[in-house]
Amino acid sequence: MSKSKINFALLIALLLAGAVQSFGQTIPPKEHEGKLIAVLKSDASHKEKADACRQLAVIGTKDAVAPLAALLGDEKLSHMARYGLEPIPDPAVDDALRDALGKLKGRPLVGVIGSIGVRRDTKATKQLVKLLKSSDTAVAQATARALGSIANNSAANSLLKALKDAPAANQLDVCEGLFRCAEALVAEGRRDVAIAIYDQLRSVKGPHQVRAGGLRGAILTRRKGDLRLLRRHLRSDDYIMFSAAVQAAQELPGPEVTKALTAELKQLPADNKILVIQTLGKRGDAKALPALFAAAKSGEKPVRIAAIKAMPDIGDGAAVPVLVELLGDSDREISKAAQEGLAALPGRQADAAVMRMLNSSDTDRQLKALEMIERRRMTKVSSALLKATRDDDESVRTASIRVLGDLAGEVQFPVLVELLVNAGSSSEIRAAERALSATCTREAKPSAGKVTIRRAVYGAIGEGGSADVTRKVAKIVAAGSLSVTASNANFGDPAPGIHKQLLVEYTVAGVAHTRTVKEGETLTLAAGTTPEAFIDQLCSALAKAPAPQKLALLRVLRVAQGPRALDAVRTATKDANAEISSEAISVLCGWPTADALPDVLELTRTATDRRVRILALRGTIRLIPLQDVTVQKKLAAFKEILPLVQRNEEKKLLLGVLATVPAAEALSMAMAHLDNPATKNEASFAAVAISEKIVQQKPREVADAMQKVIRATDNKDVLRRARATLDKAKKAAGR
Amino acid sequence: MLKKSFNLTRRAFLKRAAVFAAAPYFVPASALGRNGAVPPSERIVLGGIGIGNRGSHDLRWMLPEKDVQFVAVCDPQKKRAEAVKQMVDTRYGNKDCVIYHNTPEFLAERTDIDALLIATGDRWHSLAAIMAMRAGKDVYSEKPSSMTIAEGQAVVETARRYRRIYQTGTQRLSEGNFTFCNEMVRTGRLGKVHTVRAHIAPWDSAELKHDWLPAEPEPPKEEVDWDQWLGPCPWRPYNSAYTRGRWRGYYDFHTSCIGEWGAHTFAQCQVGIGAANTSAVEYQYVKNESGDGMVTRFANGIKMILQRGGWRGPCGVRYEGTEGWVSAADGYSKPDVSSPAMMSDFRKLVRDYQARTQRPMSHVRNLLDCVKSRRQPVANPEMMHRSMTTVHAANICMWLKRDLRYDPVKEEFINDAEANRLRSRAMREPWII
Repeated sequence: MSKSKINFALLIALLLAGAVQSFGQTIPPKEHEGKLIAVLKSDASHKEKADACRQLAVIGTKDAVAPLAALLGDEKLSHMARYGLEPIPDPAVDDALRDALGKLKGRPLVGVIGSIGVRRDTKATKQLVKLLKSSDTAVAQATARALGSIANNSAANSLLKALKDAPAANQLDVCEGLFRCAEALVAEGRRDVAIAIYDQLRSVKGPHQVRAGGLRGAILTRRKGDLRLLRRHLRSDDYIMFSAAVQAAQELPGPEVTKALTAELKQLPADNKILVIQTLGKRGDAKALPALFAAAKSGEKPVRIAAIKAMPDIGDGAAVPVLVELLGDSDREISKAAQEGLAALPGRQADAAVMRMLNSSDTDRQLKALEMIERRRMTKVSSALLKATRDDDESVRTASIRVLGDLAGEVQFPVLVELLVNAGSSSEIRAAERALSATCTREAKPSAGKVTIRRAVYGAIGEGGSADVTRKVAKIVAAGSLSVTASNANFGDPAPGIHKQLLVEYTVAGVAHTRTVKEGETLTLAAGTTPEAFIDQLCSALAKAPAPQKLALLRVLRVAQGPRALDAVRTATKDANAEISSEAISVLCGWPTADALPDVLELTRTATDRRVRILALRGTIRLIPLQDVTVQKKLAAFKEILPLVQRNEEKKLLLGVLATVPAAEALSMAMAHLDNPATKNEASFAAVAISEKIVQQKPREVADAMQKVIRATDNKDVLRRARATLDKAKKAAGR
Repeated sequence: MLKKSFNLTRRAFLKRAAVFAAAPYFVPASALGRNGAVPPSERIVLGGIGIGNRGSHDLRWMLPEKDVQFVAVCDPQKKRAEAVKQMVDTRYGNKDCVIYHNTPEFLAERTDIDALLIATGDRWHSLAAIMAMRAGKDVYSEKPSSMTIAEGQAVVETARRYRRIYQTGTQRLSEGNFTFCNEMVRTGRLGKVHTVRAHIAPWDSAELKHDWLPAEPEPPKEEVDWDQWLGPCPWRPYNSAYTRGRWRGYYDFHTSCIGEWGAHTFAQCQVGIGAANTSAVEYQYVKNESGDGMVTRFANGIKMILQRGGWRGPCGVRYEGTEGWVSAADGYSKPDVSSPAMMSDFRKLVRDYQARTQRPMSHVRNLLDCVKSRRQPVANPEMMHRSMTTVHAANICMWLKRDLRYDPVKEEFINDAEANRLRSRAMREPWII
């Protein structure tokens, strides 16, 4: 080999090497075009050439056209050649594709025709018109679609001709081509020609979707729509053309269209009526309402229901009297549909109609009105609701208390308290209790001003790669949010590829807290606090209420929470009335926060009544982990009550909470219950849950425990986790 | 012959469909002694293309619907088709579900089928939907429903052209929690919404793979039709791993970690902020592998931020306004809200939405209702295409490693020729639309 040839080969090799390195990229550097072209011209592999084509699709210029076009006849690479050529915005591509038309056959030819269609090369029309008659079905079909994309006069005429004489197998593609032509012509403003095409398509003895699509086009393409054609087909016995006309009406605005639809409504069969009614609703023109009212009042039930459902679609208050009238229909389905329609209808007219119903003397109508007040969220009708709470009928009184509770805010709270105190029946007491509890929860107010961020860290905590995000978290809180999401979007990514945590040390009203959440979780810095005014009112009521109401108030205080609520309950535990003191003890033992722990613990030790002792012990077990203290202090508290935990029920409860305490001592406590058949499953679960958290710190203890769990448990999930944790423990111990 | 069968079958079906829409009111099936079962003549005749794991999930929602009769499945993979047949036949207690392997032949032959469940791999979604709609079928297509912006445009055009009903499988648009979030925005309860956050898949990356798995001997065509499996994508040698789901992560077959969940969450966000008929106009490149933190902006000024974390379950969205925020993801018993009082209107908002739009809280049922009423379902072609355009544009932004601007009216990137080239890919013959 001569020296110059060797140098040339070396150069090609170097070029290829550079190109191959970039094949893994979606976007190659622009300056790589030469290298990629060299790949195409070389004896590189199929894969390398395919990659070069793909990359040239993004950066190729006129220089790449000939090398790519040279591959169009290659059965293996023809597609990738087009893949490269199709997006290159240079007329040389069109020249090359047209040139290939006369040279190719089979699949490569089909592909080239497709690319010509994508590029809308009008210069190819003449050649394509000839191919429209190809005996190769795939070629003729691709040509019909490509001519449709080109959409010039010649293309349209040849396709119209083909519509008459093309083989049945190609008909759908010819129709597709004609649709494309018509759409392009509309875009060019040549509506008359487009309409002529659509008229042909809607008249063919062809597939239903073509005739229907043609009719849609024919109606919509005329400015303001072809109402004559619409009306004619609304009367059609051909359901396909009827439904196509109705569907076209969905896209046509204007009162004339509404008129055309409503004028035909009466004469139509029931199923056609439903379609028209649904369309009238969808169009939202209030001028359709008289026809809908007539349809809703009488006739076949499905038509009536469709008409009722269309009214909220239109959303006009004129429908209110009709819907109210239909509420009294003897048919339950009609009445129910009217009620739902009225509930969903926006506006004051509907509100006023509901209020008239509430003020009627008919209990059934009053109850329906109350349902609608709740459903419509009519929050400004509390005086009417209050009046209803004094109704003669207990069901109305109870329902109105329930609705009032659902809608109440701070202003209505004292009223609800009074309603509870003065309730005349057990159902009213229950309704008022639920209403007050719901209002306490709903109106709980988190206060950003009381929250102070002391320290916040985001990242792989304890493993390096974390960032101090104290200022960022403080800024989020200062902006009024008490929820902070542990995410890279909030804090950046200090430890790429590692699952991170967010640790926040903060105080709420001076009380210190520390919380940690995993990446992706949201940390809420403070629970809502029930307004103090609510607690005042509940405590005042407790003093004066009759006994049954006191029981309900104690339960509401448990929902309200807070030190003063707890004080009130604590006092009630000593009430002379045994029923009240017993309920107060139950409430105390079920208190949701750790503030009650000293009282509950004391009951655990001192109560003489077995029921109280069990309640208190269960409350103690539940409350210990809720304390904001160190793990060691929690463990100490558990140890203190261990002698009292005798029954299997409480042992299981204890194991459930131990599972959340990441300490070796907790593991030991859990393992002590592994031999008891009644607690074996709970102990296994707790042991695995604790071990997963402490495996790196206490690998030997964990390994020992996991071996025992594997022998003891028959739970597949626990077994899988135990084995995985044992593996980790062995590795950690090995280090 | 073809024309005749189309004609008669369709007419008969539509007549039946409308009658059925009325049927439960005219004569309850129970009154006819049918124990609530709807006679086959009044059912929507359903078929499937390429039903694997995800498609089976969809099918489990569809089969119990009393007005559905699933009759045939087409799949280039024999085993998958047989699994679907077994599932369907077991449900119906017969052996009637018919298997096909060639999509064009299936569509041409089964003129009795009214609607199709399309649950192929991503590469086939738009092509199969377009072929089906041209053949006069309504479509439920799994997401992501397009591989490129051009494919999405073609789906929109085809559905409009042939009056087809099309629903993409963004089923969270028909779930209470997400509907509540959207209605909170629509009714102004969050004040002026300025930021929405959309979850993207926390695995894989935006950059996709271009390598080929090692070639394996191609199985017989009747077992796996590899040419058809590839469909419009560039040819590559057969490897059985692709057919078992390892096509994810490849440029030819997948829309990256952004499309994996963004196909859902972008659609949810865009419907939520009233941008279902447009796409984001700005895309800010972020220097990471996934697009996490990318800020996109809509013409109405609202920012949509792509996030990999921030929720306790998959496919989360969060809407932030001047008066508060709402957030939801899969697995939430109820949405997260900035104030508990916001939840008071949950039932009202969801029920009002259903009454106003006549769209039930069941994505499948929404499609079936629309097959009969011919109204647009919630995840209609335009909504699908516009939200998928945002997905594709975000991917292109990551691939080009630069900020992009997009004109949703012209449907082109502004002053970026390379980005515009990436709006389409030449389809492999003969799978050309």
